[in-house]
Amino acid sequence: MKNILAALRAELGWSQTDLADQLGVSRQTINALERGKYDPSLPLAFKIAKLFDRSIEAIFDANA
Amino acid sequence: MSQSGSSQTEARVGGSALYGIYVLSLAVSLVGNLLTRIGAESGVLPAWGQAVVGAAATIPLMVAAVMFWRLLRRDLDEMLQRIVLEGLAFAVIVYVPLTALYVNLRTAGVWMPRLDPPDILMAPALLVAIGIAIARRRYQ
Repeated sequence: MKNILAALRAELGWSQTDLADQLGVSRQTINALERGKYDPSLPLAFKIAKLFDRSIEAIFDANA
Repeated sequence: MSQSGSSQTEARVGGSALYGIYVLSLAVSLVGNLLTRIGAESGVLPAWGQAVVGAAATIPLMVAAVMFWRLLRRDLDEMLQRIVLEGLAFAVIVYVPLTALYVNLRTAGVWMPRLDPPDILMAPALLVAIGIAIARRRYQ
């Protein structure tokens, strides 16, 4: 699933490790998410949306 | 923004620890299996002694099973859990038909190499490692 996670992270100047620590997941998971290789669970998607103060649909493109 | 501790390192430690525990306990069990067989063949150990060593050799595997489950549930994030579980699924999916094929061909009189308990124990460990490697590639 395509997403704008990398762009949002870059806006805040965070590294993948920083974001991983914020979300309580591994850096590998952040990398896989950003590359669209792994689709997050609903709880993780909500956590990401809350962290960036956006809706899930604004971050993840289900049609891609 | 700086935080102490690296998620990547923690994940690697978690994943490595999972497999390390399994391989270590397997090694201890294989040594126990070897001692049991040496005891049986040399007559050094009485029958009850062989039974005690044989049973004791499986204790590390039982402890590893509990630790494996706790690590899997607590220390790995959702993607790493999925990778480990896909690795385990791959091992089961491959191991069962391979075992059936082996048994059927052997029953039919086709020459097959003799498999001892260590071989039978090592096969799932190897298949899990292959399965995890395949699953990891998918998410990289």
